[in-house]
Amino acid sequence: MDAPADTAVLLRAVSKSYGPVKVLDIPRLDLPRGQIVAVVGENGAGKSTLMGVLSGTVTPTTGTIEIAGASLEPGRPEHARELGVALVAQEFPLVGRLSVAENLLLGRRPTNTGTRPKNQVTRALSRLVFDRGATRAEARQLLAEVGVTGVDVDRPVERLPVPVRQMIEIAKAWGHRPVVLILDEPTSSLGPVEAERVLDLARSHAAAGGAVLFIGHRLDEVQAIADRVIVLRSGRLVADLTPAEATEERMIREMVGSELARADLTPPQTVARTAMLSIRQCTADGLGPVDLDVRAGEIVGVAGLMGSGRSRLLHTVMGAQPRTGGSVTFEGKDFRPQHPADAVEAGIGLVPEDRKVQSLLPAHSVRWNVTLATLRRISTRGILQPRTDKEHAARIVKDLGVRLHSREQPISDLSGGNQQKAVFGRWLATDPKLLLLDEPTRGVDVGAKAEIYRLIDAAAEQGLAVLVASSELEELLWLCHRIVVMAHGRVVADIPRDRFSKQMIMTAAAGTATSAAGQGKAST
Amino acid sequence: MNTSAAPAPTGADAGPGARTSLARRLLNTPEVGVVAACLVVFVALSVDKPTFASAVNLQGMGFDLAQYGLIAIGESLVILTGGIDLSVGALLGTSVILMSWFNVRAGLPPVLAIVVTLVIAGAVGLIHGLAVTRLTMPPFVVTLVTYTVAQGVTLAITSGTSITGIGGLFSDVGQMYVAQIPLPLILFVIVAIVAWFFLERTYPGRQVYAVGGNPEAARLAGIRGERRIVSMYVTSSLLSAFAGIMVLGRMGVGSASGVGVGWELSAIAAAVIGGVGLAGGQGRILGIVAGTVLLELINNGLTTLQINANYTNIVLGCVLGVAITADRLRARSVARRG
Repeated sequence: MDAPADTAVLLRAVSKSYGPVKVLDIPRLDLPRGQIVAVVGENGAGKSTLMGVLSGTVTPTTGTIEIAGASLEPGRPEHARELGVALVAQEFPLVGRLSVAENLLLGRRPTNTGTRPKNQVTRALSRLVFDRGATRAEARQLLAEVGVTGVDVDRPVERLPVPVRQMIEIAKAWGHRPVVLILDEPTSSLGPVEAERVLDLARSHAAAGGAVLFIGHRLDEVQAIADRVIVLRSGRLVADLTPAEATEERMIREMVGSELARADLTPPQTVARTAMLSIRQCTADGLGPVDLDVRAGEIVGVAGLMGSGRSRLLHTVMGAQPRTGGSVTFEGKDFRPQHPADAVEAGIGLVPEDRKVQSLLPAHSVRWNVTLATLRRISTRGILQPRTDKEHAARIVKDLGVRLHSREQPISDLSGGNQQKAVFGRWLATDPKLLLLDEPTRGVDVGAKAEIYRLIDAAAEQGLAVLVASSELEELLWLCHRIVVMAHGRVVADIPRDRFSKQMIMTAAAGTATSAAGQGKAST
Repeated sequence: MNTSAAPAPTGADAGPGARTSLARRLLNTPEVGVVAACLVVFVALSVDKPTFASAVNLQGMGFDLAQYGLIAIGESLVILTGGIDLSVGALLGTSVILMSWFNVRAGLPPVLAIVVTLVIAGAVGLIHGLAVTRLTMPPFVVTLVTYTVAQGVTLAITSGTSITGIGGLFSDVGQMYVAQIPLPLILFVIVAIVAWFFLERTYPGRQVYAVGGNPEAARLAGIRGERRIVSMYVTSSLLSAFAGIMVLGRMGVGSASGVGVGWELSAIAAAVIGGVGLAGGQGRILGIVAGTVLLELINNGLTTLQINANYTNIVLGCVLGVAITADRLRARSVARRG
């Protein structure tokens, strides 16, 4: 291709689709050597997909990628690594039991093995031997290079605190001597000192002629480090900004989109006066203290960045995570669930975030899946009549409009949207008074999304209280009467519908401006 | 429930499902293969050796089937929850010794000896269940401990000798025929029917599958999985002791030599051959019974064919290999569709 020699990465017509949904569509992107390029965007804007495509873990649907002039074979992480791509992921794929040194040199050999055996046989043999001394030495050197001191390289990684593990992850990537260093929110788990070290490392890598791709949530950090900021929205590259252009306001505006998409959906007007659920000074691991009310017929949204405590809040209400303090009142009564079963009995349902892991019995039939939360109710004296069972399942499937071939087919045969509708059906069948929804439309196609919104609306109209956590702001803006914003396990803003603004929510979520919290709070 | 009832266009996006539905049904009914295998083996052996289908031989197989089948059912119940119970064989051996010891050495009447032994076995199962659920210990390890200790207890009580002079009730249960059918076989069939009813017709039974299929999903759907898991371990241990009654009655003496040793492997093999998925949540009583029958037919058939007993394990091992490979392939095809 016609790329200049100093281009480290070249993307041409790269796109990625999952079924009909295009999650990434980048006609052209060049990353020159010697530059730190920051990527910003909302959750689901395509940042992770872009990284995945570059590091070979995601196979693009179309397009070509060149790394340092060589074309990357799609979907081959080891080839990407060979070409010089190193990715520091948010979740550390370190092997907990192995020592720091072993992790740092995982999958390769120390480069400086003191004496080189001359004899071919001994050389071949030495390749089979794990050279502990050389491994340790190189590990120490790597740690020093990324600015970590005082870590025993023989310690198992699982015994180290998270920030140190993050630094080890960075050192591991660094050890591959990459051309392109991809950092995925590397500082989110670090203290200010370590964070500064990482930024320094990125700077020196760029100065030495490498390319850095920096994915960041913290916009101040992005401003501090980037030579260039690209903004992704819905999988598209919508802005390519110079540091001077990349003000916080501008970045947020580009991330959000110029105009707020107004949907024809407005939540029902009938909201009760008294609270169905009141949470007071509630604390749990990584949560709180939180105060929150949800009234019957009300749809309350929970916004916030990843790790802000959205799911924890829902799980704590459900009794799936132990509460450590505070009180919860449900229907005017003190509510202390020890197990989700207590919550189900009281009339609470939870549609969890990860459908495959937390909702479905993947190998079992649709019938089994939709009746799961009501098994006891449809049994008489413990006995499950096959006919009652079948009729019950048939009713749920019909009411929810789940498209299927047979109720006896495994639920994993269905599309994501229909699976999710089945999960909703499982809960609506319990006649709940409060429904907790965590990412209710994740992995769901557009058509089913609208149907699910309508379901939620209709249920709220009947007096159901809904608490819905989502990383898709649009979704919350459409659905909710009220949105609370969480950051660091606390509610930092409570915004009524007439004052909804994407900007305000995102600023509050990023935790940079406290004024938004103050403004919103006045409403309750 | 109150949602806008849009007519559900069934079959809209199910693809070319109709034509493959029979194949798919068979794919989802692993029992078909085992039942067919049982029939083929039985017919083939009967044709080749008329003595195979003789009443005496069938009755002999009935006794064997009962004792292996009971622990296979217990084992399967545990596997369905996503666990494993390595102690079923060893616990059976210990139960045999405990019952004869209580009866002969402690002078308890047979019924009381049985009750005490069942209580002890139940307590062992309870410990298994609590260790697995409360302490989240791996089932393999927990029951391996019992496996070892139980064998040790057996030897310690007997010092390697047999306990003779057990009450007549044992041989009544272990050797009696009702209309030419061995009583243990009848008891086994009753247990199998009860287990079938529990799994297919009660909500706790369905919850056992749910817990084994996806423990987190079951928990978040409000299922108290710990209770189901604990009760399945208790049931498994109780069935071991119950099978011990049949074994003791059949032998007539409380013997420590070789009773129950390695039987857990036959039980696991029977379960897997019968379509029980080792990951949990998959498998039905029909398959488990058929798996036990198939193993027994092969075992007995090899004797009838006068094939050197030393080869028996090779054949059984190969059958097991085929079964787990089939299970794997089936699981993979399910996963691929998912």
